[in-house]
Amino acid sequence: SAGDGTSSKGDTKDGGAKAEKTLKLAFNQQPNHPQFIALDAMGERLKQRTAGKYDIEVFPNETLGTQKDTVELVKAGTIEMSMVAAPLMESFNKDFIVFNLPFTFDSQEHQRKTTNDPAIVSELYSSLDSQGLRVLGSFHGGVRNMYTSKKPINTPADMKGLKIRVIESDTNVEMMKLMGGSPAPMGMGEVYTAIQSGVLDGAENNELTYANVKHAEVAKFYSYTRHLMLPDYLLINPKVLDAMPEDVRKIFLEEIAVAVEEEGQLWGQEIPRSKALAEKAGAQFNEVDAASFTSLIAPLTQQKLDNDKIRGIHAKVRAAAK
Amino acid sequence: MEAAALAGLVLVGGIAVLLLIGAPISVAVGLSSTLAMFVVVGFDNGALTAAQQMFRGINSFALLAIPFFVLAGVIMSQGGIALQLINAGKVLVGRVPGSLPQTTVAANTLFGAVSGSSIAAAAAIGTTMGPLEAKEGYNKNFSAAVNVASAPGGMLVPPSNLMIVYSLVSGSSVAALFVAGYLPGLLWAVACSAVVYLYVRRHPELRETQRVGLREGARVLLIALPSLLLIAVVIVGILAGFFTATESAAIAVFYSAIQSAFYRTIKLRDVPGILLESTKITAVVMFLIAVSTIMGFVLSFSKIPELVSDAMFGFSENPVVLLLLIAVILLIVGCFMDATPAVLIFTPIFLPIVTSFGIDPIHFGIMMIFNLSIGTITPPVGTVLFVGAKVSGQPIEGIVRQLMPFLAALTICLIIVIFTPGLSLWLPELFGLMP
Amino acid sequence: MTAVKNVLDRVLGWCCIVLFAALVLDVGWQVFARQVLDAPSGWSEELAKYLFIWLGLLGGAWVFGERGHVAADLAVQRMPEKVQRVTAVLVQFATLMFAALTLIWGGYRVVHLTWDQTLTGLPVNVGWMYLALPISGVITAFYAIYHTISISKGDEVPIDLEAETALS
Ligand code: NA
Ligand code: NA
Repeated sequence: SAGDGTSSKGDTKDGGAKAEKTLKLAFNQQPNHPQFIALDAMGERLKQRTAGKYDIEVFPNETLGTQKDTVELVKAGTIEMSMVAAPLMESFNKDFIVFNLPFTFDSQEHQRKTTNDPAIVSELYSSLDSQGLRVLGSFHGGVRNMYTSKKPINTPADMKGLKIRVIESDTNVEMMKLMGGSPAPMGMGEVYTAIQSGVLDGAENNELTYANVKHAEVAKFYSYTRHLMLPDYLLINPKVLDAMPEDVRKIFLEEIAVAVEEEGQLWGQEIPRSKALAEKAGAQFNEVDAASFTSLIAPLTQQKLDNDKIRGIHAKVRAAAK
Repeated sequence: MEAAALAGLVLVGGIAVLLLIGAPISVAVGLSSTLAMFVVVGFDNGALTAAQQMFRGINSFALLAIPFFVLAGVIMSQGGIALQLINAGKVLVGRVPGSLPQTTVAANTLFGAVSGSSIAAAAAIGTTMGPLEAKEGYNKNFSAAVNVASAPGGMLVPPSNLMIVYSLVSGSSVAALFVAGYLPGLLWAVACSAVVYLYVRRHPELRETQRVGLREGARVLLIALPSLLLIAVVIVGILAGFFTATESAAIAVFYSAIQSAFYRTIKLRDVPGILLESTKITAVVMFLIAVSTIMGFVLSFSKIPELVSDAMFGFSENPVVLLLLIAVILLIVGCFMDATPAVLIFTPIFLPIVTSFGIDPIHFGIMMIFNLSIGTITPPVGTVLFVGAKVSGQPIEGIVRQLMPFLAALTICLIIVIFTPGLSLWLPELFGLMP
Repeated sequence: MTAVKNVLDRVLGWCCIVLFAALVLDVGWQVFARQVLDAPSGWSEELAKYLFIWLGLLGGAWVFGERGHVAADLAVQRMPEKVQRVTAVLVQFATLMFAALTLIWGGYRVVHLTWDQTLTGLPVNVGWMYLALPISGVITAFYAIYHTISISKGDEVPIDLEAETALS
């Protein structure tokens, strides 16, 4: 029925019969994104394994709103799930900062294992249950690097005076200052024109987004500072999870674990393709003096770990690094 | 009945009934969309989601350009800028036979290029030019028709609030849209000018010219220079990266305010009234945007655009036929509805269809704005037509008769704009604004 | 009731004037800070957005008082005066419904939902921003009731074309 916030309709991509419950999932990027592909495929498997009872419908391209809007929709129960960038969760519980600090993860592998390890994350991920939010799984969201329009970045000195777009979060603003740049928090939609016209000197993001939003056309120097590796969280309203029959919930959680693995693999395959795409648009990739950036940003991580709970989580994550 | 179909019925039926009994468009769209929201997400969350979407619709830095361009337009229509632009227009086209109506066309286009509002243009230019033309023996209905026909060019020549609204619903770049509007805007002016030319040829007694001497011309242009410079400030500022569209709008406000203070056309005690007048226009636009966002959510949530596009593709798969069909629908819509709500309501429905056969969103936006700008001068409901009639003191029927050749010419131009993508896309590509 | 409306009109009008003036100064400051001082201001953009939202929602409510929202009332204009009074009252009822359901009830629910979320760059929570919705709704509802009474009593014309705002 419509009244419980879960619509009983929903057409499926395979054109088969309609599922009894279609879980609506909001997503802000294009359907060619690894996360979309993995989640869409997960919906197919869920439908098969529940004999057509459950399905997932992914709404790409921000059609249901920005990530912040869709979190509210999940809390209210209008939609069931949403995929959001990790820094957004800091406005609900400050402890979520722990995975958003520089040099927390050594590799994609390390990130995937630790941020999906119940022994490390279960308390954090269910800390917002009373508000109608739970993190179901942590997906790889790429490694963020600097890209600029005028010259490549090699050392922190090259960053001096450059206006760089950052995510709208205090941590990112502080981090950019430490790296030597001048941070400009701005919505993603305005960045292309801002760089093109010179309002900004650059931005920072992973290779996929860099190629997908065609920023390579206006900022061709992509420098591997590797300053951040942020996860993306798949959120669900815990009431939806509770309402699932035991067997369905088991299948559902198993398939999420599969989707997390698959997304990681897709991401790896996507990087060379994105780099080639960006190079065709004129991009040049270069390595940087990593040690000097590390020493600049390292204090931020220690300063932001300001309570025992997150210090504990951080220690476990670092211990798992080889 | 399926939830999606029921939601569609509530939405379309609700809007139709409420518009028919004369409800404000924002109430018609807002209430119907909220009721449709109850159908798709349930009673408990429907109101919450509707309220949240309203907020989402206006929570945008890009939209901030609107109150500023509105304010700049209000300041300019009270200041002495219109007169300067008319004088500049005379210098430009004074040697052409029928120079007064040609000056109206030029001045309206220039005013549109500084102010963003075609209503302000029609009011300011029409008030000054009407009596001058009457003195030279022009038919008053014809003079009013020239003013009405040439004023909407202001929505195609940047800055343009309608373009900002379109960029919001379509997700395309404001800077690219702004630049894309120049050539179609110029085409609009040329079409009006051509109709005036043909009219004057049939009326030899009206072949007056207003030759302005070299020295006088230079003096007039020098006086008008600050106003003309604003055109450059807005667009060069955006292109060269000194500021964003929103900031350029703020610059336009300060620029025109300082200018008006300098010429003493606006006094300090006029300021609250100017701000209140601007609030009115801004708030009406924002309410429309807010409620259209609720509608947009209901549409995507229940996949109604897909249903509409299936139906349209069932009608024909030929892009030419479909584009013409959309143009005709928008011309009919324009007869009854102002351009801003029409852009908000129809973009989410038509844009996915046209992009599916390769039409660029920037090109479609210019096509839609051109299309709906024609609507602002067509009876029975035409905002620019009404303002033009009011300042001329002539009856609408009389003006409409003189307007017919202009409408014919503009419709031909519309077809040219639709089928010549380069007209819209060449400049933004040249400036590297097309991602 | 007319006295209340007159006071409300004035207070609301001045609120809008002040909000608009603050908005102009804030964005002016932003351009100045970035271009002249070369020190982009972190809070001015957020503040501008929220001033703008309050301006739009309070201003929108005020325009309901003026009966200034754009309508497409062509069909009704051709109707006899008696029919116009009935439709005009229905229109005010629809406005009241919209204010009550969407702005007041929906707005209240969103405020409640977001009361403990923090905002980047500003010392207030998200709920404060959404609060503009129910407040705008209460004012709009008052105006709708006022107009319903005035139209039924014959104190107001059923269609007020002069009041409608032109946008193009
Ligand atoms: Na304009
Ligand atoms: Na019309």
